Amino acid sequence: MLEVHDVSFSYDNEKMILDSVNLQIRRGEITVITGPTGSGKSTLALILAGFIPRVIKGTFTGSLLIDGENVEKDSISEIARKVALVQQDPESQICTLLVSDEVAFGPENYSVAFSEIQNRVEVSLKAVESSHLANRPTYALSGGEKQRVTIASMLAGKPDFLLLDEPSASLDPKGIQQLRKILLGFKNSGYGILCIEHRLATILPIADRVLQLSESKISKWNGKTSSTRSTPVEHIRRPDSAEPLLIAKGVSYSYGTIRAVRDVTLSVYPGEIVALMGDNGSGKSTLVSLLAGLLHSTDGTTYIDDVPSIELTAQDVAAKVAVVFQNPNHQIFERTVQREQHLVFDVLDSLDEVPSERSEDVLLAAGLADLKERNPFSLSHGQKRRLNVSSVTVHEPLVYLFDEPFIGQDEIGQNFITQTIRKQGESGGAAILVTHDSTVATSLCNRLIFMERGSVLLDGSPKIVLDRLREIGYGEYADLGVLS
Amino acid sequence: MTIEHQSTESGSILHRLNPSLKLAGLIIITTGILIYPSWRFSGLLLLLTILGFKASNVPLDVSKRRIRFLMAFSALLFAFQVLMTANGTILFFIIPKYDFMGPFLPVTDFGIEKGFDMSLRFLLVVFSSMLFVSVTDPTLLAHSLTRLGISYRYSFALVIALRFLPLFDMENKTVKMAQRSRGISISVRGMSRILRTIRYTFFPLLVSALSRVDALSLSMDGRGFGHSKSRTYLRKSSWTALDSAVLVLLSALLLASILLTLGFLPQISAII
Repeated sequence: MLEVHDVSFSYDNEKMILDSVNLQIRRGEITVITGPTGSGKSTLALILAGFIPRVIKGTFTGSLLIDGENVEKDSISEIARKVALVQQDPESQICTLLVSDEVAFGPENYSVAFSEIQNRVEVSLKAVESSHLANRPTYALSGGEKQRVTIASMLAGKPDFLLLDEPSASLDPKGIQQLRKILLGFKNSGYGILCIEHRLATILPIADRVLQLSESKISKWNGKTSSTRSTPVEHIRRPDSAEPLLIAKGVSYSYGTIRAVRDVTLSVYPGEIVALMGDNGSGKSTLVSLLAGLLHSTDGTTYIDDVPSIELTAQDVAAKVAVVFQNPNHQIFERTVQREQHLVFDVLDSLDEVPSERSEDVLLAAGLADLKERNPFSLSHGQKRRLNVSSVTVHEPLVYLFDEPFIGQDEIGQNFITQTIRKQGESGGAAILVTHDSTVATSLCNRLIFMERGSVLLDGSPKIVLDRLREIGYGEYADLGVLS
Repeated sequence: MTIEHQSTESGSILHRLNPSLKLAGLIIITTGILIYPSWRFSGLLLLLTILGFKASNVPLDVSKRRIRFLMAFSALLFAFQVLMTANGTILFFIIPKYDFMGPFLPVTDFGIEKGFDMSLRFLLVVFSSMLFVSVTDPTLLAHSLTRLGISYRYSFALVIALRFLPLFDMENKTVKMAQRSRGISISVRGMSRILRTIRYTFFPLLVSALSRVDALSLSMDGRGFGHSKSRTYLRKSSWTALDSAVLVLLSALLLASILLTLGFLPQISAII
C-alpha cells in the first residue's frame, strides 16, 4: 500500500495547499481524486511520488509510506522504482527521439541488462496497445499515442503504483475508451492506480473509489458533478437576410506534405454556437486558425465579416475575432492581469473609449478581480485560461474561436466560459468551440460540425449529428459527455 | 508541425559513421576554416558538405524559407566585407566620379576575396552543422560520447536539446499566431517597440519552455536519471573499419590546415 499520513504542505509558507491529509492507495484498485483547480491534487501526486520535499521545496510535514515503511530517507530514484508519476502534459515528459528509447530510458538508468531492457520495452508497449509504435520517432506521435508511450515508459520501470495526473486531458473519445481499457488491465495485473481528473466522467466507470480534494482537505466525493448543462439547445432558425460572419470557400491547408484541412466550405451566421468535433489530428485546430485569419490557406479563401482574411491586418483580426488557444501560456503577453486585460484596447488604440466598468465586470465574472496586479504567468492553469477568455472577449468582437476551452477547468472556470459563450450567441455574435465533449455540443451549441481527416463529415444540429455519428461508427462521441 | 532538425533515417555511409567521429569531423572542419581563412578552402569544404547532403539523401530544401534566409544573410556578409574593405587593388567604384563629386565606395580584389571568405565560411559552418544533425542519431551520440569518458549526464543534454528543437519551433509559430490574434504587429520602429516585440515574443516562449523544463526534469528524475554513475543502453554506437579510415582522413585535413596556416605547404597554399 502507498500512503501519506497527516501530510501538510505549503509552497510559500503562507497558503496551505494541503492540511493534514491522509490517503491510502491499494494495489489492484483504481482511486480517483477530483476537486477544483488549485485545490492541491497535483501537489498531492507530487508528494506521493516523492518529488515533494526532495525536488520541489516548500514547508512539508507528514510522512510517505510504501508497504508500511517510512521512505523519508530514500532518494527520489529509489522511490521511483515503486511509484511512477505520469504528469499532465505527455509532450513535456518525453526526453528521447525514438519510442523504444523512451520506454527503455528508465531501465537504462537503473543499469538493467540489455536483454531485460528489450523485454521490458516489448511488454510495456504491449500493455498500452502500442507495440506498433516501437520504432516511430516520438515527435511524430499523436496526443493519444504520446500519452500511451509516456505510460509505457513508466511501466518499464516496473513500479507497483501508477499515479496519473489528468490522463484524459489531451485525448479524444476513442483515446479515452482505450485508456479506460488499459487502466482496467493494469488494475487486474495488481497495480495500485491513482487518477487525478477534472473530467470525472471519463474515468468514473472504472473507478473503485472517488475522493474529493477541496479547501486543503480530502474527503469522500459527494457524487455531484460540475455541470454546465441545461436542456438541449434548439437548432436556431436563421433569418434569410442574415449575412455570415465567417466563410470558408474550398479551403485547404498543408503542413509540408501532410494535408491537415481539405476543401472545407462552410459559413457561420450570427447567433450560431458551433461545436467543432473530430478525432485528434482531424484538422480542427488548423481550421480554427484558418477561419481566424491566422493561417493563410494553400487553396480557397476565408472571409471574416465579408472581408477576405488575407487582406486583414493583425488589428483587424483582433477587432473582429477572439481566439483562445490550447496552451494558455502562448497568449499571455503583459506583466499584470490588468494590463493583459487592456492589451487589446491598447493595440486597437481605443483605450480612452472603453468604459472602465466593462473591463472590471469581465474580470469580476472571471473571478480575477482581486488579482489585477498579479503577474499573469504566476496564475494557476485555470485562472490563466479564464484570463485568456476575458482578455480576448472584453472588447466584444463578432466571433469567438475557442480551442478546447474547458480542458483543466473546474466548475468556476466552466461556468465563466459557458456564460461568456452563451452571451455571445444571444447578442448576435457567433462562436466556434473545438471540443471532444458531446455534453458541450448538446447543452451549449446549436450546431455541430464533425471533421474527419481534414474534411467536414457532418454538419447540422447537435442531436442529429450525434445520432448519425452513432450510426456510422463514431458512437463514443455520442456516448461520452465528459462534463457530465 | 515541421520536422526538420532530426536525424533522417537512412542507410547512407554518413548515417552509419560513428556519431563521435561525425562530431569530431564537424569540429575539425570548423577549426580548419578558422585557422586557415581561405575562400577556396572554405568553398571546397562547402562543396563536399553539399555532396554529403546528396549522398545521405538529406534534402537541403527541407525549409526553403530558412535556406533562403541563410543565403540572403551570406550575401549580406559578402556585401558588407566588400564595402568595408578598402585594401587591395581597386577594381571599380560603386559610385563613380561625377563632375567634381566622388568616386565613392571602392571595390577591391582583396575586398571581394574577403567577402567570399566570410560568406562561404558562414554557409559552411551552418550547412555542416545541419548535415551533422540530420545524419546523427542523438541517442547513439550520447552513447558514443559516454564511451569517450564524458558523463552521460552531459551527453544527454544534447539528446534533450535535439528532442525539443521541433517543439520550440512549433511553439514559436503558435505564439506568432497568438500575437496576430491579439492585434500585435511585430515592429522594429523605435527602441520601445523593439523592446515590446521582444517581450511579447520571448515571455510566452520562455514561460512555456520553463514549464516544460520542470515537467521534463521530474520525468527524468522519476525514471532514475542520475541514479548511478553509469547506465546501460538499449542501442549502442559501434566503431568500424570505415570509421578508422574516415578518422585518418579527418586527421589529415586538420594537419593540412595547421601546416597551411604555418606556411609549410607553399605550393598547395598557392592553389587554395
